[in-house]
Amino acid sequence: MEISATHPQSFWSKYVFSTDHKVIGAQYTLMGCIMAGVGGYLAYVFRYNLAFPNAYIPLFGSLSAQQYNSFVTIHGMIMVFWVGMPVLLSGLGNFLIPLMIGTDDMAFPTLNMLSFWIFLFSAIVLLSSFFVPGGAFGGGWTMYPPLSAGGYLNHNPEFFKALFSGTSMLILAVALELVSMLMGGINFLVTTINKRAKGMTIMRIPIVVWFIDIAAVIFMFSVGPLVAGAFMLLFDNVLGTGFFDPARGGDPMLWEHLFWFFGHPEVYVLLLPSLGVLGEVFPVFSRKPLFGYKPIIYLALISAFLSVLVWAHHQFVAGIDPRMATFFSIGTILISIPFAGMFLSFMATMWNGTIRLTVPMLWAVGFVGLFLIGGLTGLYLGSNTFDIYAHDTYFVIAHFHYTLFPDIFFGFFAAVYFWFPKFTGRSLNKTLGKLHFWLTFLFFNGTFFLLFFNGLAGQHRRINDYSYFSLVMKEPYITFEKICTISAIALILSQFIFIYNVVVSFAKAKQGVKNPWESATLEWLAESPPPHGNFKEYPVVYRGPYEYSLPGASQDYLPQNIQEEPVTNTKN
Amino acid sequence: MQTGFTVPLPEKRIASNGVFGMIFVLATEAMFFAGLISAYMVNRANVMMWPPAGQPRLPVEATALNTIVLLASAYTLYRFRQKYMADGSVQGKSTSMLITSIALGVIFLAVQGSEWLRLISFGLTTHSSIYGAFFYTLIGLHGVHVLAGILILLYLWYTIKGLKSHEDAGNRIAVCSMYWYFVVAVWPVLYYLVYLS
Repeated sequence: MEISATHPQSFWSKYVFSTDHKVIGAQYTLMGCIMAGVGGYLAYVFRYNLAFPNAYIPLFGSLSAQQYNSFVTIHGMIMVFWVGMPVLLSGLGNFLIPLMIGTDDMAFPTLNMLSFWIFLFSAIVLLSSFFVPGGAFGGGWTMYPPLSAGGYLNHNPEFFKALFSGTSMLILAVALELVSMLMGGINFLVTTINKRAKGMTIMRIPIVVWFIDIAAVIFMFSVGPLVAGAFMLLFDNVLGTGFFDPARGGDPMLWEHLFWFFGHPEVYVLLLPSLGVLGEVFPVFSRKPLFGYKPIIYLALISAFLSVLVWAHHQFVAGIDPRMATFFSIGTILISIPFAGMFLSFMATMWNGTIRLTVPMLWAVGFVGLFLIGGLTGLYLGSNTFDIYAHDTYFVIAHFHYTLFPDIFFGFFAAVYFWFPKFTGRSLNKTLGKLHFWLTFLFFNGTFFLLFFNGLAGQHRRINDYSYFSLVMKEPYITFEKICTISAIALILSQFIFIYNVVVSFAKAKQGVKNPWESATLEWLAESPPPHGNFKEYPVVYRGPYEYSLPGASQDYLPQNIQEEPVTNTKN
Repeated sequence: MQTGFTVPLPEKRIASNGVFGMIFVLATEAMFFAGLISAYMVNRANVMMWPPAGQPRLPVEATALNTIVLLASAYTLYRFRQKYMADGSVQGKSTSMLITSIALGVIFLAVQGSEWLRLISFGLTTHSSIYGAFFYTLIGLHGVHVLAGILILLYLWYTIKGLKSHEDAGNRIAVCSMYWYFVVAVWPVLYYLVYLS
């Protein structure tokens, strides 16, 4: 086996144009964090405007209605496509898959590098759309026509002028980002199929690798129709085609179907890698095998299947056939069953375990607690009768953030605090980590919990200045808005603790602790940080990934590569 | 550089990295075309008269011939692989069948292009009607795939001589021709839906 790693490398080939999966993972994660900063800044600006309409916004100025629309739209886009996707799917996938299955690198390292550079380019296209005439697109992150189809007004648009509009650039940026993620997904799947270490049978693969791969499959299955729709929407804008223009025989509902056929599975693409992280964190810090390893995998496969059958629950008020709405309601409520099963397994893993309440464990437990609120409100929204009332209100906003915020940020931070010692050879300060967790937990709830009530009171999410609507904007909802905004600012400020923690850890000397959490999976065998090529020699795997507290074993945990009787306590 | 890995990765694989990668690419591409085709069918079902009044008729016969050209290119590619792999030697093998496939692909694109120019002169454009919009989008995006396929086959032709081992060559031929077969296989479906029905 050739590896190209042992020769000395310049700064550029080592950290910038690198084909090493860990460097690419770091690039994705860093880029995701930068984009999270941008998305957070946009959220700060429009939240400030909601609580204090027409006030001067510190660090920004005053916000026009059009800017409010753009900021809300691009905030959503950034957080889903430029934070969640790179951090959870590409970042974790790149870092973890080769190490956890015991190999040197991805199956296609060059493709992997290319995927990051396309991703970077897509982010540049997205951000530069703020500076074109007319500003960034402001019709909501779902890009529904007619707002997103400029060709309606102009049947024969000027090609380049239309191409460099906020709408077209957003569509292009999304399409590029999807191509980049597709390249990553292909890499993950082929690597897992073909490059596993000896003895790493498919039922010995750690749960996070399973989940990232299942997420990649869902992504690949659902992304094609959205790219097709993106082409059609782009042509509507730049060629004047009128695919979504009813006056010319087009169908605006068609976009909603194409978008949500991808858009809903997308949330499971984001959710599964994060749940995989929980599947790694809980056994290690409960010192127990993961409860129901195989059933969890089957549940994930069932949820992957169901995830492509629920998309129209976003369209209950768009005028779809009520019989179809019932079908999608049932599907939506059904899909909560596999996820409930996974969460119950995680809790059963903790049950009677020797719990070590470390920082990653705190984030994982916090994830479960918050996601419960998001999941339960999702059951209400899944029923079309309630959804017709709650559609487009802050109730939906709160529900969505109670699912995706724990998913993206709590999952990400659990992973960072867990694998940081491995990938940097340094350790993060525990006290600061706990402070970071508690402040984030507190202010997250402060930001979003009260929005449930504002939503039930009938507040609609697209209105930038509620002072004109005194019927729905009265006490206590005005106070709620202010609490939300102040909490949101505090939530953003709390993240600086994390940045400080990381910076300080890099200022200190490397410790290179190999296995600080006494974990049994393969990545902990490598040096900290793992060199290019990962392992000195390929490990051989003798058992499943979660052998903790084995009766009769010489130590509390048995790494996957150690050959010792009893070889396994589960029949794998 | 050898670094003394004692245990090699499992040798026994169902298929090579390239083949698996291409399977995933093609699965995504299949969903892409499924999305386009379903959009076409839905919009078409909404419209009373198809094709709309005042829009030119599509060149059914010329395109039928062109379909045969494209199908023939898949056959020549198949023959190329058979002949190339049957011959055990490494050097001096014929790539004439591969070049035939590439030429047929180019002919297909050229005929499509000239048909497009005629249709545009008859008044069928992307913004003349939803009919024209779908025609150019479906056929055009397929055409882009044919172009990509031609580039892939050119890459295959350009690099295959440099591959030392028989197995590597077979693998590269397999991966590249999978893409071409897919592009060819999508075409009759589009031809039937857009031109005939």
